[in-house]
Amino acid sequence: MTIAIAVALILGLATLLGWLRLGLWHRAAHATGQASPGRTAALALLQPVCAGLLYLALFSPLAVGGSSSLRIATAGTARLTGAQSGAPLILLPEAPNIGGGEAVPDLATALRRHPGVTMIKVLGDGLTPRDLDAARKLAIAFEAPPLRPGIMDIARPASVAPGGRFVVGATLNGWSGATVDLLDPAGRVTDSGTADKDGHVQLAGTARAAGAVLFSLRARSGRQVVAQADVPVWIAESARPRLLILAGAPGPEVKYLRRWAIDAGYDVTTQMRAGGGIALGDAPVSLDAGSLRRFDVAIVDERSWPAARGSLLAAVRGGMGLVLRAGGAMDGATRSQWQALGFSLSGPGGIAPLALPKAPDPAIARTRHGIGSVDAPVDMALPEELVPDISRIGLAPGGDNGVPLLQDAGGTSLAAWRAVGAGRVALFTAIDSYGLTLTGRGDLYGDWWSRLLGTVARPAPGSVMVTDTVWAGERMTLCGLTGEGRVEGPDGGVARMLPVAGCGAFWPAKPGWRSVRTQGEVRPFYVQPQDALPVMRAARDQRAMAMLRREAPTGSGTMTPAAPRADWPWWLAWLATSALLWWLERSRVGRPAPPPPTQSAM
Amino acid sequence: MNAGMLFTHWIAPARNRRSANTLALALPLAMAMAAIGWRVAGPIAAIAITTVSLAVALAVARRQAARFDRHWLVRTLDANRPELEDSSALLFTDDAPLSPLQSLQRGRIAARLDQGAPQDLISGWSTRTLLGLSLLAAIVITAALLWPRAGEGPPTLTPSSEGLPARPGIPRLVAQNLRIIPPAYTGLLVRDSASLDARVPQGSRLEWTLRFDPQASAPRLLMLAGEPMALHPDGANWIASRSTDAAFLYRVDPASGRGATPPLHRIDAIADAPPQVKALSDSLTMVKSGQRNWSPAFAATDDYGVAASARLRVTLAIGEGENVTFSEREIPVSGSGPVRDRRFAPRLDFSTFGFVAGGDMVVQLIVRDNRSPSPQEVRGPSLILRWPSPKAPESSGLTGMVNTTLPAYFRSQRQIIIDIEKLLKDKRSLTPDRYLSRSASIGGDQQILRVRYSQFLGGENEGAPELPTADGEAHSDGDGHDHGPPVARQNVFGEKEDVLAEFGHPHDESPASSLDPETRAILKQAVDEMWQSERELKTGHPDAALPYAYKALRFIKEVQQATRIFLSRVGPELPPIDASRRMTGKREGLGSRVLPVAPIEGDDGPAAAAWRALGDGPGAIRGPIALGALEGWTRANATRLPDALALNGAIDTVRSDPACLPCRAKLRALLWTAMERTARPARRRPADAAGARYLDAIGGAP
Repeated sequence: MTIAIAVALILGLATLLGWLRLGLWHRAAHATGQASPGRTAALALLQPVCAGLLYLALFSPLAVGGSSSLRIATAGTARLTGAQSGAPLILLPEAPNIGGGEAVPDLATALRRHPGVTMIKVLGDGLTPRDLDAARKLAIAFEAPPLRPGIMDIARPASVAPGGRFVVGATLNGWSGATVDLLDPAGRVTDSGTADKDGHVQLAGTARAAGAVLFSLRARSGRQVVAQADVPVWIAESARPRLLILAGAPGPEVKYLRRWAIDAGYDVTTQMRAGGGIALGDAPVSLDAGSLRRFDVAIVDERSWPAARGSLLAAVRGGMGLVLRAGGAMDGATRSQWQALGFSLSGPGGIAPLALPKAPDPAIARTRHGIGSVDAPVDMALPEELVPDISRIGLAPGGDNGVPLLQDAGGTSLAAWRAVGAGRVALFTAIDSYGLTLTGRGDLYGDWWSRLLGTVARPAPGSVMVTDTVWAGERMTLCGLTGEGRVEGPDGGVARMLPVAGCGAFWPAKPGWRSVRTQGEVRPFYVQPQDALPVMRAARDQRAMAMLRREAPTGSGTMTPAAPRADWPWWLAWLATSALLWWLERSRVGRPAPPPPTQSAM
Repeated sequence: MNAGMLFTHWIAPARNRRSANTLALALPLAMAMAAIGWRVAGPIAAIAITTVSLAVALAVARRQAARFDRHWLVRTLDANRPELEDSSALLFTDDAPLSPLQSLQRGRIAARLDQGAPQDLISGWSTRTLLGLSLLAAIVITAALLWPRAGEGPPTLTPSSEGLPARPGIPRLVAQNLRIIPPAYTGLLVRDSASLDARVPQGSRLEWTLRFDPQASAPRLLMLAGEPMALHPDGANWIASRSTDAAFLYRVDPASGRGATPPLHRIDAIADAPPQVKALSDSLTMVKSGQRNWSPAFAATDDYGVAASARLRVTLAIGEGENVTFSEREIPVSGSGPVRDRRFAPRLDFSTFGFVAGGDMVVQLIVRDNRSPSPQEVRGPSLILRWPSPKAPESSGLTGMVNTTLPAYFRSQRQIIIDIEKLLKDKRSLTPDRYLSRSASIGGDQQILRVRYSQFLGGENEGAPELPTADGEAHSDGDGHDHGPPVARQNVFGEKEDVLAEFGHPHDESPASSLDPETRAILKQAVDEMWQSERELKTGHPDAALPYAYKALRFIKEVQQATRIFLSRVGPELPPIDASRRMTGKREGLGSRVLPVAPIEGDDGPAAAAWRALGDGPGAIRGPIALGALEGWTRANATRLPDALALNGAIDTVRSDPACLPCRAKLRALLWTAMERTARPARRRPADAAGARYLDAIGGAP
């Protein structure tokens, strides 16, 4: 039983009661001789009319009879739309001034004003996140316009280690073949690339000291800059990883790896066997679960792998990272052991030459290197053109479960990783990579090994930034909050954030860096200026629109309960009828004059 | 006189006059244009303009003269000479035959023609035009000569743009000029800069001319690092000057610190680059048969100019094997070509140098630029001319290889003598310390040679390398542990007893034991002389060592004549292997050593701290920032920074106006270029709590 039926029943009952009272009155009046059948009939007639009007005022039939579809003009609506006839036209604030429509602050307001709307036709670029919730229960007709050329997406790392190298990916729309530059915070071009036919391009930069920094992405055709966008990068210190290097024999690879890892900030423990029970390196480590738990990542060559296999794999399942490297051409046994980890190894075997990428342009290398130190002036430390003789085993790791990690200049996979339990295992096929450090390509050496170790090492709680791109003047959602948060703005202002189920909403008014602090954890995020990355924003809105309902609604549950109806005529009629009823009841019209009252003693 | 000659006779004076007139009119114009050209683009342009304009004038004059033709002559004569009865055309026509009547008339007027002269027909000089043009040319030439050059005369002030608000009563810079006088040797012209920022050649003199409104009392130029410079009044202006040795930042302070802080200006000093020498010939040339001289070619370039005279160092190496004699001399050579790109191609005659077959001639060009004072001297690449020995078979293609496979590990006695003589010659130009060290180093060579020769005589090795391993631990009696009984090696039956090795040590184990006693005696004398020579050298008396060295050489020569000696040339000396333990598998007494690897030190330093403070992210400081540490760091590391001066300027700007957001952004951008990339990429990937929970739920994790 709905409220409407209950109200109708109550009103019917009230009418019956009214009639009963009228009948009683009429009989009493008959007794006094004041009865007037005409007046009583009028009163009796007005009772159901009044009740009916009240019912109609409460449940206005005009609402049901209103238009059931609307045309919503959003940003980018054609100017001629206003002149076309059809469903009522609603102008959202983003819509251009096309005239001939009803301007509303948002879609929800329009739906309140037009109750009973079950379908909207969205014109122009589409609804903004503000209106998406309101549109969720409606059927939507929307034809997405083609996106304008521009930067459609930017992918960036959540955090970068101090001094680390990072890669920024960008997707351009409609400008395949455009040149894309990555500018460092000083405005120097630190990498340059050309978008492929799908518009993708990857650019690399290097970080410096910990902090928040803005790189900048610039797309240009020829010399003319066609788009530019900020790329926020968060450089954060991380927990110091503990590294175990196991080698079946001493050699230069281990020596240089140890040297590099210590300089790169690892706590290194090296174990090399020299045969006959002699071990070189640091104090011996027993390879059991307890001692391996102390390490975050291990580098193991193929000679020491068989002996330590069981305990290492158990440690990997517990979260440790493992890098298996080849020391030379592999025999069948080792190959099958590696394959047993879930990797596929394709290739003829043996030793194959490794195609090294070209050294970057000196100007670009200079921007990536930073200032020189006293020991190594920058001119000496820059990459050289001399190509060292580095080889790899003739097997390319891959497979369905393997994630490619490193590739040489010819596109051959050099390294791949896959998850084993809670940890990760990577294979590295380059041999004698230390040659890079001796021939002026220490940058590439560091890049390879830090990517290998950084990918597989045991995860640690660390500071990461929110990688969603948000714009000023738009509501954003921050999730993963453990308690009440404080959002610190670029000008030092602080806003409290009360999360619901771990998520809180924030409405940044101005662009710039912000950080949300919750119980000792700081997560920075960057708010783009309102007019930045328009194409990326349009693409996001189109994706959200595409996820809205498209088919016609079924059932009657589409009415928004709180929607006020256009019921004022009924209320007015009801008021008039009630007033008439009241006046008729109180007045003496049609009633025979009463007998003159007996004089009472005053 | 036929008609043609008559015509020429009558027309020539008029034509000549017209040509002369035209040329006279053209001359002042040409001179005026030449003066302008000379002023604008130098004397070559003036000559070119004069030539071209005179050629044009000549052409015009010819055209003008050509207008005096037969028709004109006939018309003029008929108009001016009534007695010719309008028949002068008959006189100048060659178109015979004439009718009888015409012949009659021609005869009549031919007689009358000579009553006048051809000079009567010439037009007068166009005097007024000539005067006018001459006057104009004189004015133009005077103006061209007197037009002020940039950098001459009083400077023209340009309105300044310091961007400071005008405040009543406080002087403000309103006009400015910076005159840059480059050093004379650069050949650059003096120029006036309207801006107070400039890039000037190093050593330039700078002259500021500034005007203030209202008039300043004691304006100064404040150097960012250094003493302020007072300005001196010069009429209504204020002047100052200084020379530029290095780049600097300064600001004009008109009001002694009152009022707003004026912006910084920057003077960059462009250092004179040293000259560049490039060899145009091949680095190794072989002498062709019949060749008598060689002309190696070099090109020397410089930013301002290469001195026309250079020196060529010629080193001759004559002889083979041990008997190579070196001689070195420097000859002056003069270059040709423009001052900034000179060519040097001296011709070297073999006879003058005594260059013969079997020798190498190495030449190296030493050039100087024209910097003054102290020209920069640069040595170019060495070029080698090789004259293969006629006896040796042609080893084409092997020359380089043969040379590198036989390095000399020690010097010959002859070379030591050459070194000593050279040292004595250079003595005057060397400091005593340097002299002593060179003498000692030759002494070292002498010692090596002496040890080599004494090995032939069974001499004891000196300074035998010690075992660097634990095996080689120095043991001595009483070092705290037991050494055990003396090693007693068991005699294997049949093996010759090495009594000498067991109980003593031989003194003649060397190859020299096969030498005959006579030779050995001579060799011993040679070694004795070497010892003396070495002693004198090491005590810093090469002059005293020379006679001993000569004697040693003579003894060696005698030995060489007596027999042949093969000296073993050895490379690096590796530690000896402890043969007694080799391949035995014994591991007792092995030392456990850990060689700690110290990570490279690199700290973020004040640059990173200031960079974080200047930003708008976490860790930023919105108010004033203490920049003292950063400034000190910048000063200490100026050589490492790409642009320390700009950084200093930006620090100063931020300090004076901490609220200026663009200034902070600029300093922050500069700091990015000044930060070390402490490559410490070690990191663990951030934990992903949701991912871990998911993995737990699907049973992936243990």
